[in-house]
Parts: sequence; structure tokens; C-alpha cells
Amino acid sequence: MAVKFFGQFLLEQRAVKQEDLLKAIELQETTNLKFGATALAMGLISLTAFERVHDAQRLEDLKFGDMAIKLGILTEEQVTQVLIRQKNNHLYIGEALVRIGALSSESLKHYLEAFKEDQAPYVVDRIVIPSGLPHPQMWEICADLTFKMLLRVAGLSTRPSASQISDRLDPVFLVGVMPFKGTVQGRYALGVTEATRLAIAKAILKEESVDGESEEVLNDTVLEFVNIVCGNIAAKAAQMGVSFEIDPPYTHFASAGPLVAVAGERILTFPIHVADGDPICLALFIHG
Amino acid sequence: MKKVLIVDDSIAVARQLEKILASSGEFEVAGHAKNGAEAIKMKQTTKPDLICMDMNMPVMDGLTALRTLMAMDPNAKVVMVTSLGGVGDKFAEALRLGAKTVISKPFDTEGVLNTLRDL
Repeated sequence: MAVKFFGQFLLEQRAVKQEDLLKAIELQETTNLKFGATALAMGLISLTAFERVHDAQRLEDLKFGDMAIKLGILTEEQVTQVLIRQKNNHLYIGEALVRIGALSSESLKHYLEAFKEDQAPYVVDRIVIPSGLPHPQMWEICADLTFKMLLRVAGLSTRPSASQISDRLDPVFLVGVMPFKGTVQGRYALGVTEATRLAIAKAILKEESVDGESEEVLNDTVLEFVNIVCGNIAAKAAQMGVSFEIDPPYTHFASAGPLVAVAGERILTFPIHVADGDPICLALFIHG
Repeated sequence: MKKVLIVDDSIAVARQLEKILASSGEFEVAGHAKNGAEAIKMKQTTKPDLICMDMNMPVMDGLTALRTLMAMDPNAKVVMVTSLGGVGDKFAEALRLGAKTVISKPFDTEGVLNTLRDL
């Protein structure tokens, strides 16, 4: 199980063919216009104004609507009208598949129910993020999916403590770190003890015992766990309109000292106790 | 028995996949490439029937390697293996470039085998 999009779920269920899914994605792309194109189609802006907003976006990181307001091209009310039009006209992948004849309406209903059930374990629970941090919902997802993956992938029940802003992460044994960049930027870091590393290794390698495994393999299982969590976070975030790329993960050992913030980063830590009392820690090094 | 080339920088993932493939008795591992560049070389030397390739790898990522592999052999059967499979644009790009499908991590053994059997 993993966080996924409906199209991928349908492929996995062998409900649609790859070529039909591609056709449906293409139909979506021609139907679901971006904000600027929708405003143009609604006659709210001219082509010249459209290009002016685009040019300004190269110099300042603002969404099209926000930039158009800043330049006096659109009012807040007009931006809302465009957003409503986009929402009302949005063609979802399931509907697109029905339109091209690749899926019947009855099948769509059936698979939507099955998809909802498949994804239910990944619905975000409420986690409190300290005020003042940008994109708080994003960090909530990071923490929530980490706890869920620790349980579902590694079989580790956890008891998270309240999150806090810190200036460093003191590793107990090993930290798996994954850099990410995009709408949000920073580093995801999961600090584990030797016992937790063993639990993760057994789960990832699907072995009862990992006694004969090398340090390289054991450490790699922690990185793979971090990779799985971050990939699922990226998928969940994308569903909410937040996009970022992840870079390959790397290890940081306790012997190398604490992991500290670089310029422009703040550290949000989530101390976690595994059921047997083993202390591990999630730290999000947040840029901006 | 179909030969599968595994492309992943993680030894742990390669081990997982090897185990899943071996359990079926239908597939054998042709080799293990640790990045996209190695995969391109090993495709020629091992001549696999299927390629299971990670998206997020150092040196050369999976989508770049996929583009090259499909240019070399438009009939290549490549399945992208990733925890990022659910990200819409990456998923669509992989299919556009010629990937047969995308398998999500963590793996579901039967799901992986059924997908590979279909190819």
C-alpha cells in the first residue's frame, strides 16, 4: 500500500490500459486550463496582460492570480471567479476515462469506492505545528505519514511527543537524510537507534533475522525507509497542490556530531518513542 | 524463464525485488544496476526481457535512463519502481516516455508479480 493517484490505482487493478490512461491524461491537460489561460478564456485579461504577468513571475515567486492582483490587472473578486470556474470545470481522471470510453460510469463508481478504501490509512490525522512556520499543513503530512509508515512498513508503534523548534538534531545512532526542493525546500531527517535500525531492516528485507547482514545493507534499509516515506509525502503533497522533488538520501552518523541548520533553515523536531521506549526523532530542516 | 534487470541504487530494494522474483519461479534476475547509466550498459550485456527501474537515483535518474533505453530499443519493457509513482506529473511522464507501468513502494508481492506477468 502507498499513497497514489487514482490513475495509478486503476492501472494496478488492471481496470484500464496504459494507452487509455495516457489518452485520458491528454484529455485532462487540454480541458483543465491553468489559471492564466482560464482568465483569458473568460475575457478577464488581454493577451498583453497575460504576458506581462508571466514576465513578472520570472522575477518574483508569486502565483499567477496573486501577481495579477499585485500588477492591478485583476481584482481579488475576479481571481475568485477564475478559481471557481477552474474548480467547476475540472475534469478528473476517472471522468476523462469514462468520456473516452475506457471505463463505464458503473465501474468508475466501484473503483472510486475501492480507491477510497485503499487510501483511507493515509488520511492525515491532526498534528499541531508551532505557529510562524510556512506551509504548516505540509509538515503535518510529513509527521503523520512518518508515524503511519513506521507502523505499517516497519511494524513499530510510536508515541509522538509535541513538536518543537530546535537549533540542532543530536543523533543517537544514525540519521537518514533526504533533501527536497520545490514549492517547499529543506531536508527530511529521521534519527534512529540501533534497535530501530534492526526493526526497519527486518521489515524492509522481509527477514526474521538480519544477524549476518553488513553495516552497509543495514544502513541502506534505513535510507530506503526514508525514501519510501518521502516519496509518499511527495505524492500526498502533490494531491494538495504542493510539489517538490526529492534527491537521493544519505546517512549521517552520531560520530559526526549534531546535524545543524544551514543558513535560512529552521528545524522542526518531533521526538518519538517507539513502543518499547526506544527514542527516535523526526527532524524537518525547513528552508524559508 | 523471463530475465529481469533490476535498476536501483538501494541494495535493500534490489534484495526485496530479487526475493519476490525468486519466489515466483517465473523470473530470474539478469543483473543489478545501481543507476541509470549502469542500466544502459547492462541492458546491452545482459539482454533482459524486463527492466524494473527506480526513478530517484544518483548519477543518472530513472526517467533520463528510460528516455535513452526507449531510444535504443523502442520495444523495451520497462517498469518504473518508485515511492514517487503517485506524483501525477512523474507518473504521466514515465508512461509518455514508454514505461509499461509504475509499481509503488512499499511492494505488494502479488501486485508486483501480476504486473510483470502481464507484460
